[in-house]
Amino acid sequence: MSTERSQIVGQSRRSTIILGLAAWIAALLVFFPIFWMVLNGFKEEIDANSSPKLIFDPTSDRYTEVTTQTEGLLGFQEAFTNSFVIVAISTLLVLIMAIPAAYSLSIRPIAKWRDVLFFFISTKFLPIVAAILPLYIIGTRYGLTNSRIGLVILYTAMNLPLAVWMLRSFFSEVPKELVEAAQIDGAGIRGQITSVILPIVAPGIAATALLCVIFAWNEFFLAVQLNSVDGSTVPIWVSSNVSTRGNFLAKLSAASTLATLPVVIAGWAAQKRMIRGLAMGAIK
Amino acid sequence: MTAATADRAKLLAKRNRLEAWKRRLPLLPALLFTIVVTQVPFVLSLWYSFTEWRINPPSPRTFIGVDNYTGLVSNSFFRDAAFTTIFMTVASVLLSLLLGTGLALLLDRDFFGRGLARTLLITPFLIMPVVAGLVWKTQMFNSSFGVLNWILETLGFDSIEFVSRWPAGSIIVVLVWQWMPFMMLIVLAGLQGQDPSVLEAARVDGASSFSIFGQITLPQLRPYLELGTLLGTIYLIQVFDHVEVITGGGPGSTNIPYFVFQRSIGGGWRFGEASAFSIVVVVASIVIANLGLRVLSNLLEGEAP
Amino acid sequence: MADVTYDGATRIYPGTEIAAVDSLDLDIADGEFLVLVGPSGSGKSTALRMLAGLEFIDGGSVSIGGRDVTLTPPQDRDIAMVFQNYALYPNMTVAANMGFALKQRGIEKEERARRVREAAKVLDLEEYLDRKPKNLSGGQRQRVAMGRAIVREPQVFLMDEPLSNLDAKLRVQTRTELAELQARLGVTTVYVTHDQVEAMTMGHRVAVLRDGKLQQVARPRDLYSTPANRFVAGFIGSPAMNLIDVDPGNGPLQLGTAPITGAPASGTAVGTVGVRPEHLRLGSTGINGRVTVIEELGSQAFVHVAIEHEGRDEVLVVRDEGETDIQRNDNVQVGILGPCHLFGTDGERIDQ
Repeated sequence: MSTERSQIVGQSRRSTIILGLAAWIAALLVFFPIFWMVLNGFKEEIDANSSPKLIFDPTSDRYTEVTTQTEGLLGFQEAFTNSFVIVAISTLLVLIMAIPAAYSLSIRPIAKWRDVLFFFISTKFLPIVAAILPLYIIGTRYGLTNSRIGLVILYTAMNLPLAVWMLRSFFSEVPKELVEAAQIDGAGIRGQITSVILPIVAPGIAATALLCVIFAWNEFFLAVQLNSVDGSTVPIWVSSNVSTRGNFLAKLSAASTLATLPVVIAGWAAQKRMIRGLAMGAIK
Repeated sequence: MTAATADRAKLLAKRNRLEAWKRRLPLLPALLFTIVVTQVPFVLSLWYSFTEWRINPPSPRTFIGVDNYTGLVSNSFFRDAAFTTIFMTVASVLLSLLLGTGLALLLDRDFFGRGLARTLLITPFLIMPVVAGLVWKTQMFNSSFGVLNWILETLGFDSIEFVSRWPAGSIIVVLVWQWMPFMMLIVLAGLQGQDPSVLEAARVDGASSFSIFGQITLPQLRPYLELGTLLGTIYLIQVFDHVEVITGGGPGSTNIPYFVFQRSIGGGWRFGEASAFSIVVVVASIVIANLGLRVLSNLLEGEAP
Repeated sequence: MADVTYDGATRIYPGTEIAAVDSLDLDIADGEFLVLVGPSGSGKSTALRMLAGLEFIDGGSVSIGGRDVTLTPPQDRDIAMVFQNYALYPNMTVAANMGFALKQRGIEKEERARRVREAAKVLDLEEYLDRKPKNLSGGQRQRVAMGRAIVREPQVFLMDEPLSNLDAKLRVQTRTELAELQARLGVTTVYVTHDQVEAMTMGHRVAVLRDGKLQQVARPRDLYSTPANRFVAGFIGSPAMNLIDVDPGNGPLQLGTAPITGAPASGTAVGTVGVRPEHLRLGSTGINGRVTVIEELGSQAFVHVAIEHEGRDEVLVVRDEGETDIQRNDNVQVGILGPCHLFGTDGERIDQ
C-alpha cells in the first residue's frame, strides 16, 4: 500500500517537473513581446530599427522625449490627465449605479431579476460600431465630442453591464440572514449596504472597479472617433507616436510602456480576485 | 366587518405595491442610464438606415425606404466583411479557449514559481489593444526589424512580410495572444473549484489521469468554458482597434465594425448606407446574443435569488 | 416586554397557491416562552419570520404589545432575533456586533459600551469582545448571537433553531442555560425548533404546526398526555407513540388479541388506537408477539415486538425497565398497562 502510494507520488513529482518546465517556457514565450517592447524603449532608434539585438547601451532618452516633446497635437501630460479624469469619474459613476442595482438583483431581488440581468448583458452584444454614427451626430450637436464629458458617459455605459453582472455575483454570496439581521437591528437599505454588505464584498468591488478601469483605460475606438482633437486619451497618444517619416520604434516602445504600465501593475495586483468575480456567481 | 376586511385587503395590496417599488428603486438609475445611452442610438440608426444621407458631397437627408438594405444584399464588400468577422471571431475564440485551457491545466499543479509564471501569462490581457497591435506589427511581424523574421532568417528561411501575406491571420495571432490569458484564468477558476476528494476517489478507483480529465474534469469545466466562450465572443466580435493599427483594413482583414467605420465617419460619409450596415450587424448580434443568452440562462438555472 | 398575537395570520409565497402559514391564531402571553415545533415545511419558521417582519402577511394580522405590526417593517418592530447560523457580521468585532442595533438607534457611545459590557458579562463573553466572529468557537458564536439579542432589551426575542448548529453535548447544556436566561430576563420569547425534545424541555407552551396549520398549542405535559390529534400524538414523544389503525366496523376495540378498555364518549368511529411505549409491558399475558429489535439504553430498553393485528403485521415498541433478559426472536406477550388514546378516522382525538 505504502509503496504503491510512493510510486504514485514519485510519478507525479517527475511529471510535475516536466509540466512545470512547460508552463515556464509557455510563460516566457507569451511574455516575450512585452519584454521586447520594454527593452526597445531603452534603446537608441538606430539599435531598435535594426536586426533584433539583446545587448546594447541602455538609455532613458526615449522616455524624456515622449514625455516632454509633443508629436502633433497631443502631449503626454494632456493625454494622461484626460485618461485619468475620464477613467476615474466613469468608474466611480459605474459603481454608484451598479451597487444599488446589484442589491436589487440579488439581496432583495425584484420579481424579474433574471430578465433585467439578461437585458444588461444583452446590451454588451450590441456592437458599439453600430451606435457610433448617432453618437457622433448627437455628440457634435450637443458639444459632447472632443470633451471629457462625452467619453465619461460612454465609458460608464460601456462598463455598467459588466459591473452589474460581477457585483451581483458577489452580492449573492452574502448570506441572506446577515442582511435580515441588519434589518431587524434597525438598519435601512443604506445602512445594510454600507455597514454589512460593502465590508463583506469589498474585495469584489475592488476587482470590479479594476476591470472597469482596464477597459476604460484601454478603449480606443470611441476615443479616436469622438475625441481626436480635444479630450484625447492615452491610446490616441500612443498611436500618435507612430510617425510616417524617420525611425520611431524606440520612441513608440517607450510610449507604449508608459501607457500600459498603470493598468498592468493594477492587474497584477488583483489577478486572482478579478477572475473570481467574473467566473463565480455565474456558476454555482 | 366586511368593510373592515376590504379596507385591510386594500392596505395589504398597497403595501405590496410599495414594496415592489422599494425593490425596484435601487435598480432604476442603472437601468434608465443603460436604456438611454445604449438604446437611443440604435433607434436613431434604424431611422437613418431608411434615408439617403451623404455628407461629402453634402446632400439633404431624404427618406428612401429599404433601398439601403436591398443594395446591401448585392454588396460584395459587405459580404466579405461579414465573412471576415465570422472567421476572425470563431478562430480567435476557439484558439484562445484551446490554448487558455492548456495553460490553465499546466498552472493547476504546483511548481516552482507558479505565481510569477501566472503573472507573466496574464499580462497580455492587460495590454492596451492599440499597444498590442503596434508592438506585434512593428517588432514581431515586421520583415526588417521583427523578431519572428529574425528567427526565420537565422534558421535559414526567407523573411516573410506577415501582415501583408496573412492580414487576417496576423490579427488573429494578436487577438489570441491577448484573450488566451483571459480564458486561462476562467478555466483556472473552474479547475480550482473542483472537489479534490472526487479526484482522489477516482484515483483510488484506478482511473488513469487521461480518463479522469475526460470524464470528471472536463464535464465540470463545461460551464466555465461556456462562460469564456460567451464573454470572449462578446468582445472579439467587435474588434476594431487591432484591425485599425495592424492592417488599417487591408484586404481580407476588414471586419464589419471596421467596414461600417470606413463607410461612415472613416471617410465614406454615407450615413444612410452605413446605418443599414449597422442595423444588419445588430440583428446578427441579437441572433448570436440569443444563443449566448441561452448559455447564460443555463448558467443561472436553479440559482435561487 | 409585551404579549404577541397572531390573528388569522396567513402567508402565501408569491407564485404558490398553498398557504405556507394558514390562518394562524395564537396568543402568547407577556414573558412566556413559546415554542413553535413541527417537521420541515410545517411553516414554523415562516410564522416566526412573519412576526419578525421578514415575511409579508397576506391575510390576518400580527400584533406585539397590543400594537398591530402587520404593516410595520422589521426595523420598527422592536424585536431581536437569533438565527440558526447566528448571522454575525463578519467584519465587526464581538462588541460591535452586539452594539450594532444600539448604534442604529442612535444611542450614545458610552451608553452603548456599558450595555454591551453588561450583556457580555451575563453571557461570559467579556474576554472576547475585541475578537472577530471567525476567531470564536461555535458555542461562543452562539452566545454572541444571544448577546446581540439581549443587549437591545427588545419586546420579544425570536429564535430560529438557535441550537441546531451546536454539537449534541453543548446543545443540551445551552438549552438549560437559555431557558434559565429567559426566565431571568422575563422577555416574551418565540422559539422555533424541529426537535420535539427541545420543544418539550424549554417551552412554557408548545405550538405544533403541520402544513402551515396549527395542530395544538398546550403545555408540554398536556401535549404529551392529551394530544389533540394523531399527528401530534406521533410527533411528540420519543420513541413515538404506537399508533395502530383499527377497522371501525370490527366489533369491540382490540389491539391484536387484547381488548382495549375505554370507549368513545360519543359514538364516533375509532380509526386509530395509540398507546405510548411506557404503557405497554412485556409479561406473561397479553398480545403474542416476537422480538425483532432491542434498543438498549442502559436504564431502560425499547423492545420492538412484531404482532398480528386484524390479520396484518404490526410492530409495537415497548419500554422495558431491564429486569427481564430478552433476546431477539424471543416469543413474548405484551400487556397494556395504561391509557390508550383513541383517534377518529379523521385523525382527531376522541374523548373517552
